[in-house]
Amino acid sequence: MNTVFSVSKFIEFLNDSLAALVPYGDVAVEGEVANFKISQQKWVWFDIKDETGVLNCFMTTWDLKVPLEDGMKIRAYGYPKIYQKSGKFSITVKAIELVGEGALKKAFLMLKAKLEAEGLFAIARKRALPRFPEHVALITSTGAAAYTDFLRIARERWGGVEIDVLSVAVQGIQAIPEVVGAFRYVNAHAREYDVCVLTRGGGSMEDLQAFNSEEVARAVYGSMVPVVCGVGHERDETLADYVADTRAATPSHAAEIVFPERHEVLQSIAHYCARINRVVESNVQTRQHAIHSSVSRLDSFFARRVEFLSHCAERVGSAGSRIAERVRAAQQNVAHAHARVSSTFEHVFEKIFERVAHNERMLKTLSPEAVIQRGYSIIYTADGTKPVTSISQVDTGDRIRVKLKDGSLLAETLKNFNSLF
Amino acid sequence: MAKEAKKIHFAHEFKELEAITEWFEKEDLDLEEGLKKFERGLELASSLKEYLGKVENKVKEIKAKFAASDEPEEDTDAPFK
Repeated sequence: MNTVFSVSKFIEFLNDSLAALVPYGDVAVEGEVANFKISQQKWVWFDIKDETGVLNCFMTTWDLKVPLEDGMKIRAYGYPKIYQKSGKFSITVKAIELVGEGALKKAFLMLKAKLEAEGLFAIARKRALPRFPEHVALITSTGAAAYTDFLRIARERWGGVEIDVLSVAVQGIQAIPEVVGAFRYVNAHAREYDVCVLTRGGGSMEDLQAFNSEEVARAVYGSMVPVVCGVGHERDETLADYVADTRAATPSHAAEIVFPERHEVLQSIAHYCARINRVVESNVQTRQHAIHSSVSRLDSFFARRVEFLSHCAERVGSAGSRIAERVRAAQQNVAHAHARVSSTFEHVFEKIFERVAHNERMLKTLSPEAVIQRGYSIIYTADGTKPVTSISQVDTGDRIRVKLKDGSLLAETLKNFNSLF
Repeated sequence: MAKEAKKIHFAHEFKELEAITEWFEKEDLDLEEGLKKFERGLELASSLKEYLGKVENKVKEIKAKFAASDEPEEDTDAPFK
């Protein structure tokens, strides 16, 4: 007996069978998008096709995390379902991955333009990282090299940091919800963390597409803790990089950005110490100089005083001896002068006495008495008062007195001759 | 709490050392205060160096289901009804 189903029951049976046959997440359908449309801003419809087949797809805008366009190659994750009302077979898509560089690049550029216009990349909103992080949230896959690289560089550079690892899928269907969930966790514990690192190693654009998803970009944007994003290799650029507060080229570079370098910091400390020392030393030196110069100024001041005083003393001493000298000289001069004066006087007196004696002798020889004694006579006027020395004094008949050696004569002039005899 | 104390420790002390260095280069040195700051600077430098010399990073994995989303449950049958 064949089993008879009601239509509804049969559809239910088929759906159960399909669900058992194609567990969600295990199977993806890859094809090109056609007839893409959104209705009521809520329901998304499109076909996925290849050269020979076509499948109808349905999803909610909530689940549509990538920009979609006709012609894009995608991988659709979902479950097949026959709808009761329409009997239509459709794949209810829960997640889409873009396939191929072309689709990815296109989606990337579309989303980039959108987010940029919204201001998610604005430089102004980028926050500074702490210089010395103490508690870091690390969102990454613990199975990947990026994780070990990050921890190794962290260990090499710095210590004393708590690193909370939030292990997530970094590619595949779970990547986006897990990364978003990890940011939700970080936000819930935002007070504990001072920086959040989102990182994964390099890969194809397909591998990195979680980091180019709008949800991850918005999760980074919404992080209450500053985010450093280091995804892929140097050349890779992801939207998460653009939104992050700081973009690192690689996971190792992220660690270099987050953690200061021990030796550099030690050098800084040494440098600060040296700077402080320099200032203190130069101050001490300045003060020493000041003290030295004060002391030497005092020294030289006193030295000058002492010199001055000794000079004074010397001068006083020499003045004393000069005075004594002078007194002695003066005394000598006086004595000398006295001697000279007295000798001069003696001499002068001698001469005077000599002259007087001579004059006396002369006088004695020249005196009229002496002449008279030698036989001469002198004629005076009659009264005997004036000697007659000229003929003109005596007229004829005048009386004259003649003095001789042993007496005088009164005579009368008989005749006045105007000539001798 | 211990973490908070340590957090203050390095970043705070390093900042203090920087501030002391700047103080020395800006101010006219007051010998008494300078001496205090000088001693504090040396103290900070040696404690910072000691910290750098021996501390390891502590790595801890957070055990949580991050994928558990808070997205609303849509009735995906709705458009087909």
